[in-house]
Order: sequence, then C-alpha cells, then structure tokens
Amino acid sequence: MKSKECVAMILAGGQGSRLGILTKDVAKPAVPFGGKYRIIDFPLSNCTHSGITTVGVLTQYQPLELNTYIGNGQPWDLDRNDGGVYVLPPYVSAEKGEWYKGTANAIYQNIGFISRFDPEYVVILSGDHIYKMDYSKMIKAHKKANAAATIAVIEVPWEEAPRFGIMNTDDEMNIVEFEEKPQNPKSNLASMGVYVFNWALLKKYLIADENDPKSDNDFGKNIIPKMLGDGNRMLAYKFDGYWKDVGTIQSLWEANMNLLSDNPGYMLDDDDWKIFSRNPAMPPHYLAPEARVKNCYITEGCEIMGDVENSVIFEGVIIEEGAVVRDSVIFPCAHIGKGAVVSKTMIGTNAFIGEGAEIGSESDDAVTDFYNTKICSDGITLIAPEITIENGVKIGVCSMVTQNVKQGTGKKADTDTATA
Amino acid sequence: MENNNTMGLIFSGNPEVNLGELMKVRSLAAVPVGGRYRIIDFMLSNMVNSGIVNVGITTGYKHRSLSDHLGSGKAWDMARKQNGLFILSPPENLDITPRTLEGIDFIDSAMSYLNRSRQEYVMLSDCNTICNIDFDEVIKFHFEKEADITVVCAEAGELTPKELSKNIMLETEEDGRVSDIQVYPKKQNSNLAYMHIFFIKKDFLIDLVGDCLAHDKHSISKDILLANVEKRRIYAYKYEGYRKTIDSIKSFYQFNLELLNSDIRHEVFGTDDSRSIHTKVKDSVPTKYGRDAEVKNSFVADGCCIEGRVENCIIFRGVKIGKNSVVKNSIIMQNSRIMDGCCVENAIFDKEVILCNGKKLVGQITYPLCIGKRTIV
Repeated sequence: MKSKECVAMILAGGQGSRLGILTKDVAKPAVPFGGKYRIIDFPLSNCTHSGITTVGVLTQYQPLELNTYIGNGQPWDLDRNDGGVYVLPPYVSAEKGEWYKGTANAIYQNIGFISRFDPEYVVILSGDHIYKMDYSKMIKAHKKANAAATIAVIEVPWEEAPRFGIMNTDDEMNIVEFEEKPQNPKSNLASMGVYVFNWALLKKYLIADENDPKSDNDFGKNIIPKMLGDGNRMLAYKFDGYWKDVGTIQSLWEANMNLLSDNPGYMLDDDDWKIFSRNPAMPPHYLAPEARVKNCYITEGCEIMGDVENSVIFEGVIIEEGAVVRDSVIFPCAHIGKGAVVSKTMIGTNAFIGEGAEIGSESDDAVTDFYNTKICSDGITLIAPEITIENGVKIGVCSMVTQNVKQGTGKKADTDTATA
Repeated sequence: MENNNTMGLIFSGNPEVNLGELMKVRSLAAVPVGGRYRIIDFMLSNMVNSGIVNVGITTGYKHRSLSDHLGSGKAWDMARKQNGLFILSPPENLDITPRTLEGIDFIDSAMSYLNRSRQEYVMLSDCNTICNIDFDEVIKFHFEKEADITVVCAEAGELTPKELSKNIMLETEEDGRVSDIQVYPKKQNSNLAYMHIFFIKKDFLIDLVGDCLAHDKHSISKDILLANVEKRRIYAYKYEGYRKTIDSIKSFYQFNLELLNSDIRHEVFGTDDSRSIHTKVKDSVPTKYGRDAEVKNSFVADGCCIEGRVENCIIFRGVKIGKNSVVKNSIIMQNSRIMDGCCVENAIFDKEVILCNGKKLVGQITYPLCIGKRTIV
C-alpha cells in the first residue's frame, strides 16, 4: 500500500432523528437533496475536487441504502486502484465487537484502516452538511501554521450561536477555548464539523480517549477539549462560503428553497466544482402544453402536466393535469394526481398523492391525525416515502404522514358517511 | 440474462446519409439527439438491454467526438474485463481508396475483433434507426426458423418515390422466409422495409465477407443479403414498435419533435428500467426555471436555465434562454445560449451557439434553419 499524505473520514452513521420519517429507513447522509443529490454527495465531491482520493465512510444506522448508493465510488471518481472510497461499518474482531459509541470511537475503531495508508493528516468530515469547500486549502493553512489540529469555522448570526459548538480564538486564529452550545457565546465562529488532524497525534488521543471510561468518545465533547487543554496548537480556519446543516425538516426544506433564490450563496451549476451524484438513466423531463412552471428546479425523467411554483422536483416525478404544487420538495418518482394541491410539503420517494387530494391543507375538514409540530415546524408538511394518499383526502398542515390514508378519513368525510 | 453467445457490431457511419452542418464536426453516430443523447445511444442501449455485452463500433472520419462520448463504455455498463465495448479503428485504406467504403469494408476492418471474440453469433446494425427493440426476440426467431440469416424489418406503409429510393424492400413467404429483396426500387411491390439490422453466425459472416471482397463486392444489402436470397434461408423478423431512421436534416428534426408525443416518448425511452436508454453522464444540475419562464410542450434536459418562453422544443443540457426570448419548434443543443429578447422559430442550434440580445432567427417548419457549432449570431 502506497502511503497517502491525507485520508478523509466521513462520519455517516447518524440517524438524523429530527428528520422524522425521512430517516426511518435510510441514514441521514442518504437523504435526497436539491433535485438530484444525496446529502453525502457534497462531502464526497468536495474530497474529489480537493484531491483527497482515499475516503472512508463510516456507516452504522440503516446503512443499506447508503452503501448501495456509494457502491464502488465511481460517480465521484473514487474508484481507484490505490485508495478510493471505502464503506466502513462497525465490525466484530477476535476480542470484541461493538457499535460506534461516538464520533471519536468510530475513528478509533478504524485506526487499522487509516494506518494502512500511513497518512500525515486525517480529515474528519460529517456526512450531513451542504457546502462546497476546498479542503486542500485548509490543509495548506494547517501545514503553514504547523498546527496539531485545524477546525473549520463559519460565522453564524449571534442569536443562533448558542445552537453550535463555538470556537473562541486569539488574533492569529488560534483556538483558545471551545464551548459546546454556550448560553452566552463569546464568539460567533461555529465549528463546521470539518477537522484536520496530524494523524500520529490524533491516534494517541484516540487511544487515550478509548481507555477513559468516563469519556463520551466524541470529538466535540472529549477529543478537542482534551487536545486544547494539553496546550496543542489548534487553528480555526475560517470558511466564508455557504454552509448549511440540514438536520431538521425545516432546515432541509430551507436549504432546498435556497436553491431557488436569486442568490443561493453558492453555485451548484459550476463546471469547476460539480457536485457528482449517482445518476439514474432517465430521459429529459417533459412539460406538457398545459404545464405551468415558475421558479423551480426540475430534473430528468419528470412529466409535468400541472402547475408548479417555487418547488424542487426530483427525478421521475409525475405531476398530473390541474395539480398545483407550491413551495414544495417532491422526492424521486413520487406521483401527484390530477387536481391535487400540494403546499409547502416534502413528499417522500415513490409516494402517491391521489386525485384532488390536498396536502398541507389549512381547511377545517382536513385530517389532523398526523399532526406533529415537533418534526414539522414552520408550517411544513411531510409525507413519508412509499405512502398512498387516496383521492380527495385533505392532509392538514404540519402533519407527518407515516401510513396510507384512505378516502373518507377526516372530519367532513365522517359526517358524510353519517348522513348517508 | 446475458446473451453469452452473441456479439454486436454497430456501424457508426453511413455513407449515404448526410446531415449537413450537424456532421461537419462529427460522425453520424455522434450527432446529438433527444435532449441528452447521441444517435449511437439507442442501438448500443438496445444491445446492452438485450444482454449483448460484447459490442464493437466501427469508425470512419471524425471519430473524436464519438470516442469521447463512449469513453470506456462505463455509462452502458460496458467497461468490463471480459467483453465490453470496443471502439474499432477506421479501415486502413479509408483515405487512399478512390471509392467510398461500404458496409463490407467496415466488417472487414473489424475482422480481428470478430475473430478474437468468443461468441458464435453476431448482431449487426446501423446506428441511425432509432427504436427500442428486444434482440432476444430476434435471436429466438432466428433459431425457431433455423435461418442462416435473420433480417429485421418493419411495415413501411405507402412510400413516396423519394422515400422508396432510400429503402430496401423485402418480399416474404408466409412463414417469414425472404423471397425477394429490392434495393432502392422505383416501384413499391412490398410493404416490408429492411431496418439495416441482421443476425448471422459469425463464421458464416466471415466466409461471406472474404468471398465478397475477393470478388470486389462491398455492399451488405446487395452482396450479402440479395446474393443469398435463393441459396440460403434468410428470414425476416417483423419489428412492430416505433422506429425512425435519421437520414436527413428533415428526419432528424421530425424525430426530435416526435418525442413531444408522450406515447412515442414512452416507447422510445422504455417505461421500465430494463429498457432504458443510457448515455454519457454529465452530472449537470437540475434545470432551473425563472419566475417569468413560460414553457409548454417541451422536452428539457438538465443543467438549463430558462427564463423566457419555450414552446414545442427539445432543449439539451446546459442551455440558457434569457428573459423575454421566445423559442418555438426548435432544437437547441448543449450549452447553447439564447440571450434576452430573442426570437427563434423552426431552428436547429448545434452545440455552443450564442444568440446575442434581441436577435431573430426564423426557419420553416418544413425546412428548419440549422446553425453550426459555436456560431455566434
């Protein structure tokens, strides 16, 4: 095995429970985004463009779809003779076997994998952010500063700072203090979950951390504070592009809607930094004579007969005549029946919306059984993948529909049956 | 299941076809079509979908763009250790021969590939007939009939003298055995037109080619098929689906616009995954429609940005159409750019054409205006 200067490890095992039904059967990094991508396409494409061609993807929660999606890494040019992409689930060895207990433990369990490449540096990434970033520039800064670790940070609005891990730095961007979700932040530089470490040093800390029974085995909670406490030089690397954590339904919806704004903050359509993805073999999309499309993102394989505005439409979606789709995100191969109305909704893969159904309805007679403001905040409605909503059913706003909904469900329909 | 005993050979050119401006920079097989495809994609996908996974493609002049498009064959799942895609080099005498090379010359140029392949049978096809055909059926038919050669044909309907002069007509007996072949007849005696696809045992093909060349004969239709009508069992398999032969700017334009018909579109591209048409992947972003976009009855590929009015069009990947522009009945190829306030009707734009603000270009529906690659108007 030739040694590599740098190996990237993508933490992709998280459940992403705040994405509700979207992550019931798939890990968060495999959640669709932006019309033809999965969230993990972003860190994977960033790696390729940054010249990092040895990438480990740590999976744990519902890995089947993610593993299938990554496959041999060919869509990201990561099918290499030497290196390439590796999917790394937890495994059992002679002495013991266990799940990844935390982010640091996940890397700890793969010390053997990383050591095979004998790298100088290890880049740790998380598999659930939308951003375009050149890691090679960060590594350069890391080398130049002769740092033990470098953490990418981004300025966030002060009022949001308490939600993030905040880095307090000196004038030379050396990190002096790390605070996880501080109530009274001293800085608004939030950690992006992108770290560069000197491998030899990190390995020592990982082993020490593993031997500490009190540790949560987490980078943010344990490794970073420990390294800092020991007086290692740790650099904050400021990133000033677009970066979005899509951990909640609201932020996922917003990140999709951002694409439609005049200034989305980053160029998805950029030949020099394309986001690669596994492309389905589908023909171009067809817009019928009666179609109306305004301010939307539409991709291959769709057949649009209805009226679509401010929406992101994934591949293979069919929107029939008279259907109206507004401010929504429609995942692959969903079907919206004739005259259906879909407002501010995310519709899961292969879901079927019957004729004349209303999703995200504010009507008094709408079904409210699936009301779930914990997941569906900000007036967003969520329809699970593979679900059928029968003809004419109205689904109330802020619902998370997790099962098929038959005709006749809902208040008005109940009275109808009663009178009949 | 893979058809382990059949290989494919596709002819990337056709000396009788000229698509004018569109073929100035590329061979017939590499002409862009249908929003994100090239002509070759259809026949090559048909082969792959039928489990024919050892396919050679002959080349002639201007094969750069074809080689570039096909690459390793990965997009068709044909980058393999065993079998896969073979882009054959042009015949050695391509430049020096005083006559135009014909089908048999191209088979001859593929001789070492044919000899080296393990398969016993060959499916040979032109590239410029667009259809979604299951070759398994053709092969099954061939063995059922115990044929020596099986040709694929389709009902022609009534042909004009001009169309007739480009067609090879077949007459068959009741069981499908070909009794007569008329190459470019003046008068229509039959309703069956040959689709330039045939199936044959490899050794037999090699013998025939050797024999033809020894007698200075070069035409597949005349010297392989017609010459053997009586001596050999040639059978005609009738293909029933949609087909379109692209042999002129007019038929090219017609085929593209016919894709706006949903039935034809679903048939050509296959409604289930096993019959889908593959092409080179470009990782373009989804297409963005602006707030003032008005798009009707159009077929639009990824990576476009459309802010104007588009009607009855085929829009390829990465096309930009500016505000207040109107584009009708047109085919706009990859990365072309129509700026603001333009008017385009009945036109074909090759790749990377730029139409500056406020320009107007109008062709005739029967005679579309064709703008060459990288033209700036």
